[in-house]
Amino acid sequence: MPIFRWDQSWNPLRDLEREVDRLIQGVEFSVQGIRMPRQYPAVNIFELEHEFLITAELPGMEVEDLELTIANSVLTLKGHRNSPVAENENIPEERFRRRERTFGEWQRSISIPDRISDEQLSAEFNDGVLKIHLPKLEEELPRQIPVSSGE
Amino acid sequence: MNQPHENEPHHQLSHPEQFVFTPPIDIYETDEGLVLYADLPGVSVGSLELQVQDNKLTLLGKVEPQIPEGARPIHKEYEVGNYLRSFILSGEIVHSEIEAKLTNGVLRIFLPKAPKAEPRRIQVNTG
Repeated sequence: MPIFRWDQSWNPLRDLEREVDRLIQGVEFSVQGIRMPRQYPAVNIFELEHEFLITAELPGMEVEDLELTIANSVLTLKGHRNSPVAENENIPEERFRRRERTFGEWQRSISIPDRISDEQLSAEFNDGVLKIHLPKLEEELPRQIPVSSGE
Repeated sequence: MNQPHENEPHHQLSHPEQFVFTPPIDIYETDEGLVLYADLPGVSVGSLELQVQDNKLTLLGKVEPQIPEGARPIHKEYEVGNYLRSFILSGEIVHSEIEAKLTNGVLRIFLPKAPKAEPRRIQVNTG
């Protein structure tokens, strides 16, 4: 499984420490294409006591144009951002003075830890920001292992 | 899909996690005026300030992080911060009729142009 970078700086030792840290916690996230520059949309992932939280900035998207699927521990975000200018107003190119915004199809996949409750996954979309809540499965209670004497 | 505009923070505030970003925009011209779109994810109507003063239009969108207390970032590809951008308006824009609408983190501003006065014939009398 590919391991994502924690920041832009390449620090093998720190990465190794964090990877060990993650292995101890049993949590592994990997984002497909993270090594490729300027993936769309950019995502942030946070850990809380009872859940993981994924956020993505998707200005101009409509809820009905967003598609979230989960299969084999891979969460896929997919969508299409329509250009109100190009499709509804039919403005010729020469009328533009600035053109910096982007439109079109996009897709990202995020590998999620096994300790996620798929059924309780939820998402909300407000002010162009998507939040995906991934609740952690209840931890199994510690089990006592009886130790018998060798007699 | 073409490449997204990179929101590079150009000014860091006192708080290490706070940035001010230049939002990506589109501007195009119609017969009636200029239309401006700006991507402002995380900005709501209550946290957006639009101001016109001395032919300068300034938009300031304030963004609250909205991340629960105690959340530990484990993977970060973007920073959250306020948006700030200013524009110099030409003299033909009617300031009092500027319209703005914010939908799903996208701001649309319409900047109407004053109608051009019809040419008036001036009677020239003979001396």
